[in-house]
Amino acid sequence: MICLFSKAQVKKYNYSEESRVYQQVADITISTNSDGIKKLSDLYSESPLIIAFVYTRCIGICNPFLAELSQNISLSGTDAKQHYKVLVLSFDTSDRVEDMNKLAARFNFENNKHWIFATTQQADILNKSVGFNPIWDGSRMQFDHEALLVGINQYGYVVKKLTGLRNPDDISLLLRELNGVFVASYQLPGNNSLLSCFTYNPATGERKISLGLLLLIAPFVFSLVIVFIMAIIMNRRLKNTAVPHHYAGT
Amino acid sequence: MNNILKLKKITSAWILAILLLFVLAISFGITMRFNQANDIKLSPVTFYSLMTTHGVTMVGIWVVAGMMAVNYLLSRYVKVSNGLNLFAMALTVIGVVMLWLTTFVGHYHTGWTFLYPLPFYTAWEKWATPVFLLSLGVLGIGWFVWSVGMLWQILKRYSLPQAFAWQHFKKGHTVETPPFILITTVTLVGVIACLLTAVLLLILYFAEYFSKGTFTNDALLMKNLTYFFGHTIINEALYLGVATLYELLPEVSGRPKFKMTWYVAVAWNCTLLFVLTAFFHHLYMDFAQPQSFQIIGQVASYFASLPSASVTAFSVIVLIYKNPVKWSLTNLLFVVGVAGWLIGGIGAVIDATISNNFVLHNTLWVPAHFHTYNAMGNVLFSLAFFNWAAKDFQGIASPLRYDKTKIFWLMVGGFGFVLMFYIGGAYSIPRRYAEYPNEFTNAKLLASAGAWFAIIYLWAIIVILFNIVMKCIKMFSVSE
Amino acid sequence: MNTHSTILLLFLSLAFIIAVVFITVYRSSKRKEETGGMINVNKKRLTFLLVLASLAIILLSVTLPDSPYYLYANETPSKVVFVGAQQFNFNMAYQAIDPKKPITEAIELPANKMVEFRVTSFDVNHDFAIYNDKAELIAQTQAMPGYVNMLRWKFYKPGTYNILCLEFCGVAHAVMRASFTVN
Ligand code: HEM
Ligand SMILES: [Cu+2]
Repeated sequence: MICLFSKAQVKKYNYSEESRVYQQVADITISTNSDGIKKLSDLYSESPLIIAFVYTRCIGICNPFLAELSQNISLSGTDAKQHYKVLVLSFDTSDRVEDMNKLAARFNFENNKHWIFATTQQADILNKSVGFNPIWDGSRMQFDHEALLVGINQYGYVVKKLTGLRNPDDISLLLRELNGVFVASYQLPGNNSLLSCFTYNPATGERKISLGLLLLIAPFVFSLVIVFIMAIIMNRRLKNTAVPHHYAGT
Repeated sequence: MNNILKLKKITSAWILAILLLFVLAISFGITMRFNQANDIKLSPVTFYSLMTTHGVTMVGIWVVAGMMAVNYLLSRYVKVSNGLNLFAMALTVIGVVMLWLTTFVGHYHTGWTFLYPLPFYTAWEKWATPVFLLSLGVLGIGWFVWSVGMLWQILKRYSLPQAFAWQHFKKGHTVETPPFILITTVTLVGVIACLLTAVLLLILYFAEYFSKGTFTNDALLMKNLTYFFGHTIINEALYLGVATLYELLPEVSGRPKFKMTWYVAVAWNCTLLFVLTAFFHHLYMDFAQPQSFQIIGQVASYFASLPSASVTAFSVIVLIYKNPVKWSLTNLLFVVGVAGWLIGGIGAVIDATISNNFVLHNTLWVPAHFHTYNAMGNVLFSLAFFNWAAKDFQGIASPLRYDKTKIFWLMVGGFGFVLMFYIGGAYSIPRRYAEYPNEFTNAKLLASAGAWFAIIYLWAIIVILFNIVMKCIKMFSVSE
Repeated sequence: MNTHSTILLLFLSLAFIIAVVFITVYRSSKRKEETGGMINVNKKRLTFLLVLASLAIILLSVTLPDSPYYLYANETPSKVVFVGAQQFNFNMAYQAIDPKKPITEAIELPANKMVEFRVTSFDVNHDFAIYNDKAELIAQTQAMPGYVNMLRWKFYKPGTYNILCLEFCGVAHAVMRASFTVN
């Protein structure tokens, strides 16, 4: 039943999510809040990386997006064993490291080893290599952009992209795939999920039973119930016949 | 008119109806195979309408053949209701007429599995989809009430543990459950479960149909439900045939009756569970299905065949081996049927192995194995029953001459027909192709040969039928 | 010998054994008195079932790890091909395909490198089946609406490969096809 609610929040399936999958990410230079200047490859070669694209002047989606992400990662039941880092990267070249530090402080992430906040002067190159297209709107002084997470594995390949606000299950699938677990299928979000058989269970990596699966076993259970009811009705009559007592009980 | 005479008349009517539909459905099959051979030229719509008619009709008639046989034999142990029997027959006739209307007049052609959402992509008359679904509903309701009625009668006489032969699990019981009762009980429960699944499927289809797009189904769930229904119903049909075999084979062979033992009890109780999960093997190539289900599917498919098929085959073999047996058409049909069931079962287990399924799924290997255990298995069980019943009706033995010749040609035709499918499967030729692409160089030849073998099979069937039909027709003029 | 011929041979041998057993049993059955089957029947049955059960367990443990879901799970695909099946053609492209504006590109894949097909359907169920130039089925996965199935494969032989539909999808099912090259 849980899936009834969680799926409802999922945005319409976004085809841009699939662009650049399994392509090499551009190895740009970034300035981080904790470790100074780094190459992107320094980060992903240590552990798989989730890049969250934001900018500090954003009055739109960026803040709720980060809040959602941090909550979802904790909800996804990801244990400490799982290897990952979140790189919150500004794609606005006018952002400075101090701005990102403030952002980190707002989410209490200044000293969290899993979270890195950074800026870069090479946003264009990176954007292109992962298929991200923010458009500057001069009148509003804002970027027109989508909320984007890009999962990069240890070899620098884009493994999976998620756009929009997503549920913990999707985040968990992303983390598992980043850690090299191949899951041979995924479900497209749509209006058909009300009765799906299985929803992905972040805790075990298996899919968990949902309403649909109950529908699948209901007929068998129901037919047993029919038999039992008939047997109980009959049992009264049988008790009066010659059948030995210990066989007559149900 | 007394009850038994009435039952005999109803059963004769069933036999005549089933045989008529059988001969027609075989002819459709032969027509399809000739079309695949390019020996005749049908439009694809005609081909697929024939395929749908052939599939649903065949499955339907062998389910009712099993049901009515079990009903007839059940009258030896418990009181059976002739009213329900007639009711089921009436609904079956209505259902079949509706179904044939949709395919022949409405050109409906989704194949007998009507896999969601194909029925909604109407390339046929718009009315045909709801009528097709309704026709399944009509059949389902008739059979459901009938099955529940028979179970009711069984439970009136046997307590629940006795009906499932649970007292045989330990020593020192006083009541013996006949194997026939156990197998019938187990099978009827399975039949009820898959009919309820069919009802659920229909509800989901109609919910989407009437919601005009606000409600859509999940394709994976629908596929699971469809194959739970389809796979299970055809297996249960076979088990109904096996129940008649347990009851009749020793009797007509002049051998002692099969006794209930603890392992027969265990075997059939296990079968009830295994057969319900084996259907997962239809979804091996759906990587969206959780892997644990895929593995359960393969394990269940392997073990489903152990208790039912192996125990039955073993019992039949030791019954006959180096023992005095009175051979007749009836027991020859039963025994050849067991061999056909086993051979088809081998083909099925090979295909139910995930790594093989990867290169066999939906090739001609699939019709190859299910035609083996149907056309050379279950059908023969039912024909054996028909042949026995026709005699039983009037208490006259038919002449024994030429029985072996008839069986010989039936085997040549039947096994030849399926062999062409197996070879086709090994050549990776797809199933359900109205015509074969040119790269499959042997496909047309195999199809042609298959059709000719099927003609031999049909001819042997008609010869075998002749006596049965005559006796059944005579039944109608018998009065008290 | 390829997989398919091995399978056929295995099947025919087993079918032959069954036939021989039944013929032998049949021919032994014209006795005047009981001399065979039922003697020592419990022991025979136990042996028979134990042999079959252990055979089943051995076969299960040998074949299950070969299942296609685990193919090349630890490698990164060198190329991803998106497949959107549709009555009655396969759209194939290197980028995700929008069902509203389906596109199809000529696909060329590298030999000896792992590639991934991401297969879905825009309407009814189809099946994405890869045939080699000898018309042998070598790999497949279902195309189901609402789901994406990932089929990973390595092609060792350059050449043209055909895609056929292996799930009945309507009147033109038999002519629904596509192809790609490996070089
Ligand atoms: C000798 C008699 C028979 C002939 C000539 C015959 C012929 C055929 C042919 C040509 C097909 C289509 C194969 C394909 O997928 O390309 C088919 C499918 C089928 N047959 Fe038969 N068949 C015979 C007996 C039976 C029997 C006894 C059954 C009993 C259950 C049966 C059940 C089916 C079913 C369920 C299908 C699948 C239909 C579908 O794909 O929707 N057939 N048959
Ligand atoms: Cu198709």
